[in-house]
Amino acid sequence: MLTSIKTNSLTNEGQKLGMMYFRVAIVLFGAQLLMGLIAAIQFIVPGFLFEVFDFSVARMVHINALVVWMLYAMIGSVYLMLTDETEHNIVAIGLGKLAFWVLTAAVAIVVLVYIFIQVGSGSESTIWFINEGREYLEAPRWADIGIVVVVLIFYWNVFATYMKGKKTGIMTVMVANLMALAGLYLAGMFFTDNISMDQYWWWWVIHLWVEATWEVFVGTLAAYALIKIIDAKREIVEMWLWIEVLMLFGSGILGLGHHYFWIGTPEYWWEIGALFSALEPVPLIAMFVHVLYDWGKEQGINGTKPAIKNGPAMAWLVTNAFGNFLGAGIWGFFHTLPQVNIYTHGSQFTAAHGHLAFFGAYATILIGMMYYGIQRSYGVERMKATFKSKMAIFLITFGVLGMAVALTIAGYEQVLVERAELGATWNAFFTAQNLPWYIQAQIWRTIMGVVTFVGFIYLVWDLVTIGKEAQKEEA
Amino acid sequence: MIEPFTDVVPSFFGMLNQGPLTLTIFLHTIIILPMFWIYKQEKAKLQDK
Amino acid sequence: MANENLSVWTSIPFWRRSAAWVTGFASILLIWLTFDTMRQISMGTDNDLKNGVTKRVPAPTVINYHIDYKMSQKRGHEVPVIGKKEPFFGKEWSPKEAKELLHLGKLTSQAKNCMNCHTLLGNGAYYAPDLTKAWLDPAWQKGGAMQAMTGKNTTEEAMAEFLQHPSKYPTHARMMPNLGITEKEAKGLVAFLKHMSSIDTNGFPRNFSKTVDQFKAGGTNAH
Repeated sequence: MLTSIKTNSLTNEGQKLGMMYFRVAIVLFGAQLLMGLIAAIQFIVPGFLFEVFDFSVARMVHINALVVWMLYAMIGSVYLMLTDETEHNIVAIGLGKLAFWVLTAAVAIVVLVYIFIQVGSGSESTIWFINEGREYLEAPRWADIGIVVVVLIFYWNVFATYMKGKKTGIMTVMVANLMALAGLYLAGMFFTDNISMDQYWWWWVIHLWVEATWEVFVGTLAAYALIKIIDAKREIVEMWLWIEVLMLFGSGILGLGHHYFWIGTPEYWWEIGALFSALEPVPLIAMFVHVLYDWGKEQGINGTKPAIKNGPAMAWLVTNAFGNFLGAGIWGFFHTLPQVNIYTHGSQFTAAHGHLAFFGAYATILIGMMYYGIQRSYGVERMKATFKSKMAIFLITFGVLGMAVALTIAGYEQVLVERAELGATWNAFFTAQNLPWYIQAQIWRTIMGVVTFVGFIYLVWDLVTIGKEAQKEEA
Repeated sequence: MIEPFTDVVPSFFGMLNQGPLTLTIFLHTIIILPMFWIYKQEKAKLQDK
Repeated sequence: MANENLSVWTSIPFWRRSAAWVTGFASILLIWLTFDTMRQISMGTDNDLKNGVTKRVPAPTVINYHIDYKMSQKRGHEVPVIGKKEPFFGKEWSPKEAKELLHLGKLTSQAKNCMNCHTLLGNGAYYAPDLTKAWLDPAWQKGGAMQAMTGKNTTEEAMAEFLQHPSKYPTHARMMPNLGITEKEAKGLVAFLKHMSSIDTNGFPRNFSKTVDQFKAGGTNAH
């Protein structure tokens, strides 16, 4: 990955820019894991970094690094595929590169302010310059505006290149979906005294990103990757893509209702949220079936020769297909009905689902795209998984799954004792937090977090070396 | 079967919410139903070819 | 050729049109629902409170009233009940003063990043207690542990004192850090918490405030 941009194999400037985004993404991924480890330790050793680097700070950087690395990897993936799909050079590559540096500088400043200034006084200037204090959307307002400008440049590159080039089904979905994705960010950029109103619009951004537009984005990436990695037939892949769009948006848009059960919004959201979001796993099963179907079919057509051109990318793609269904689908469905959610809302259950879903649905496929980018960078015909690739995917998947299971157990403890038994007061909360089995679960979560981190080290090591090694082997 | 209205503020959706799953069935139906029409049109188009 | 690709189920145009329709129409329904919900969750007025009109999100002047959270037979779950007037920090707040105080409180709640340890209306992080009905928590009431610990006689004063010096009053090994909250900001935060406890959350959290003593004694409340 280090020399990926300097190789002569990457002739397209868009793809070089894509690799630049991937590099920052992987650094932020590391930051996310480190912050997660600090926060996990604070659960079991409460005095750890107390009043120096408190849980709220670690957790804020943890989730912001998550969102930002994923956005980086998403933008990187789009730049990687843009010229392939449209058969046209990117219209404003210079501007695109400038936007990359501006965005990266802004991200660095925001993170430094989070870490060193942490909190401000209760005034508008804090919201503008330090942090906005709304989970996931903590970025201060100046950065919000900067992000909008940068995303507009990115979107212009995608849109204008698409308009001038070939219009494939994959790119049509991409262009339409990205517009919704970018536009939704605006719903989170205002201040109100009314906390119900605040959270109503906050969920427009969060839910309609991760349970609608991001999922469609993943469908689009998977479609492109299947064509590239196993030579899947475009006609079939694009038909599936449209079915996925139909089902993802059909269930996901009104599935937003499952966040409106308890924030002051009317009771009718119970029924809307429950029954639309209950359908959200269906397209995820479809995506899983689709990937396996194409894999099996292409393997069959090729006969003895393996169909897979990029081993690690395909492995991550299959992990995505299954992880998306398991983490977003199953773990989400666990607590999506109001009858259950009245007890589980805002407990470790949510954390378990969050970990497995963000990993299964997004981290996996984005890592897969990084491997694909490396294959292109080094101009390798066939890239096989190395020992390091296998360790990386095994340890990270096992680690995250372990964290999710541990948090689910912690969630059960918390829900039964704090919520059902004692009724959610201050004392009820701490009684549950101090249950031996709850603490045990938090310890296991931390251990599994370390496992994930070791896997991450293997991943970085592999990403840095696999391209050159494959190149040598092929020559 | 039809329950009395209990929510704070009466509204169209609140009303639909009074029967067993009536609100969600209503919404699902109006979303899905036009697909039959799209199906028929596409079928006719394919047969014309 | 006649029989080939005659099935609509494998035709891309069919799925493309269906996807466009479903996405577009679901979005329109969501916007319609949003308009209806906006109407219901916008803040009430001081007159609503005076005339006993129930709003999902009451006016800021709700801080001048006693708030309770009781089972409603009609709704089938607990709802906030706004009672008689009571002083808040020893006085009655005019609509303008109450609005300003709530504004300061909401701003402070964001500036101090409350949501990355606590949950508000159940959303946020899970490191510290949910604050949705914190105002009604028995620990802060007369005879509760927090009033005794902070040496204050009212819920609002105990809360404000705690918020300014949280690490002076540890209740558990896991403590709230000192966030540099000023006296004014603390008052604002307490107003924000009291206002939040008056929001109709459709019965979340359920069974609020069964006591730990009951739990320890093996009581289940089932009889």
